[in-house]
Amino acid sequence: MAELGANHDQAMTFDVAEGGDHTVTVRLAGELDITNIDALASGVAPALERGPQRMVVDVSGLRFADSSAIALWVRWAGVVPEIELRDVPPLLRRVVESMGLAETLNVTP
Amino acid sequence: MGAGAQAGAPDFGGPVPLPHHDAGVAMTDSGPVSSSAAPARETTAGGDPGDERPAAVARGRWPYWPALGVAVLGLAITGVLVILAASTYTSNENRLLKLRVSDAGALIAEALPSVQTPLASAAALADATGGSVQKFESFIGPYVGPAGRSFDTVSLWHLGPSGPQLMATVGTPPVLAASPQRAAAFFARAAMNAQLGITLLQGPRPRLGYAFTSPGLTGHYVAYGESALPANRRSTLASQSPFTDLHYALYLGRAQNNSQLLVTDLKDLPIRGQHASTTIRFGDSAFTFVVSAKHPLEGTFAQRLPWAIGIVGVLISLGAAFLTARLLARRNQAERLAGSLERIADENRRLYAEQRTIAQTLQHALLPAGLPKIQGIATSARYEAGVEGVDIGGDWYDLIGLDNRRLLLVVGDVSGRGLRAAATMAELRFAIHAYAAQEDPPAVILSKLSRLVNVTTSGHIATILCAMVDVERRRVTVTSAGHLPPLMISDGTGTFIHSEVGVPIGVRSGVRYTSTAVDAPPAATLLAFTDGLVERRGESIDAGLERLERAAVGEDGDLEELLDRLISDLRGDGGDDDTAIAGLRWLN
Repeated sequence: MAELGANHDQAMTFDVAEGGDHTVTVRLAGELDITNIDALASGVAPALERGPQRMVVDVSGLRFADSSAIALWVRWAGVVPEIELRDVPPLLRRVVESMGLAETLNVTP
Repeated sequence: MGAGAQAGAPDFGGPVPLPHHDAGVAMTDSGPVSSSAAPARETTAGGDPGDERPAAVARGRWPYWPALGVAVLGLAITGVLVILAASTYTSNENRLLKLRVSDAGALIAEALPSVQTPLASAAALADATGGSVQKFESFIGPYVGPAGRSFDTVSLWHLGPSGPQLMATVGTPPVLAASPQRAAAFFARAAMNAQLGITLLQGPRPRLGYAFTSPGLTGHYVAYGESALPANRRSTLASQSPFTDLHYALYLGRAQNNSQLLVTDLKDLPIRGQHASTTIRFGDSAFTFVVSAKHPLEGTFAQRLPWAIGIVGVLISLGAAFLTARLLARRNQAERLAGSLERIADENRRLYAEQRTIAQTLQHALLPAGLPKIQGIATSARYEAGVEGVDIGGDWYDLIGLDNRRLLLVVGDVSGRGLRAAATMAELRFAIHAYAAQEDPPAVILSKLSRLVNVTTSGHIATILCAMVDVERRRVTVTSAGHLPPLMISDGTGTFIHSEVGVPIGVRSGVRYTSTAVDAPPAATLLAFTDGLVERRGESIDAGLERLERAAVGEDGDLEELLDRLISDLRGDGGDDDTAIAGLRWLN
């Protein structure tokens, strides 16, 4: 687990798990924005370099994600053959849908 | 500065100054104006005193004056203490010396009767017996002898009209007898004073002579005794004497006259330095007894105390001065450090302000320099930087006149911040201008843009709303690449124009976008904006859109006032995201 952010309210935590079936699971919690997006990107990069077939981004614990977060997920979607944005909270789901990215990011309830 | 301006229909009679939002940017015909220019100058000016402060510390007066002061004060106090201790010592020594000399004087005075009484008795006996030599000799015999006796010789004299006549002698012949004239003068003096006369007989064997004259009726008899003095007048006191710790000198008479010196233990006279004297009356003369101490009478500690005080005081003074100097040096060092830290902080503040100014200047440079003027509509736009933002943001707006009846309304938002985001924004903005010049419709423009930007290589995606506005036909064709829908306001109601939302630019290349066309009612207002205007953390964007709608339909007023109000109402005391908003209004 890595905790980042200027204060507790804006803290973001992430957890990267690599399964045997070439699946990378990234679990996110807190608030993800421009201030901590680089830490997440570099934290996940090593797992992506091993060429996973599938990526699951569990965002159930995410309270907020700004456009830079969504851009990062889109970037992951371009690298990994199959991506899934799992357990998307309603507010975030609405944002992703409003950007026309529900299909690209394979949003599942 | 930053005065709002109207870029719109000539009917309005040109630019009209309007209230504006201070932190924002209002468009004028001369281009964007940075409202942060003045604060930036102030910040730069504010940095100057910081540059002078450390110099003042470094070039100030010599910093060790207080240490010197401490040293001087300490030495002065030491000096006073030494003087006090020394004078106390001296006065104590004097007091003790006076006590000792008066003790000695008392002892001498006590010894005098042993000289006077035998002579007085012998003279009286001679007077009573008519000058009987035999009785004189038998009386005085026990007082005369070489050692331990009062006299070395005693003789009886008769004072006749022809001068003194020696009648009898016990002991060695008197020295005085060798000089009759002197004897006559001495006896005459003694007779006149009617008391013991004393004289010092100089010579190789000095003696002290005593004479007592009887005041008898039958004539004048004189009992005369002599006692020897040491040849060199020098004699040390017996070791058991209570005065062995003193140097002394005994004189005949009331003055320290070397010719009248009787006995001393010193080679050099008179006694110098600290000394005390007493005068003991004896017969018709007196003895003067002078003493000085061989060793300090109070003890060596008292003698050395002033020195000890002086040495310790000097050491303490110098130590205190040294300590003060060190403390001063440390304080100066701390001040210098604080000064440099402050300077660094000032520099950071200046750099921050500068960077922010650079970012804002660049941002504004990338925004349109002017808005197109098309008959029948008013146009306006605002850009608000997020609070505390140093990096340049990726939001922009554009109003591109295609001909005298059509324009392209564009609002975009590049994800992330910084120069790369700004570069992507600039690339997209200029590309839109180029495609618009080729008469490409919005859907084609966005599709072409999707080939320009790739999130994998640039790291950015961009949401863009592109609306083609045909002013004459009142037709609005909206195409969205992942962007929030524009708001159409007319007759007190607001409607978001929901088109089919395609993926943002950068997701993949060659996306096909779909456009949606709507008709604008009379006097309709069209607003396109970025998410900074409506987005709040922990709140649905639908709630933000509803808030915008309520604010936009609320009051009457021209387009400028509407945009100012939206910025101030919806952003409140400032959001942390950038906000771009562009609008147009049909004037009929």
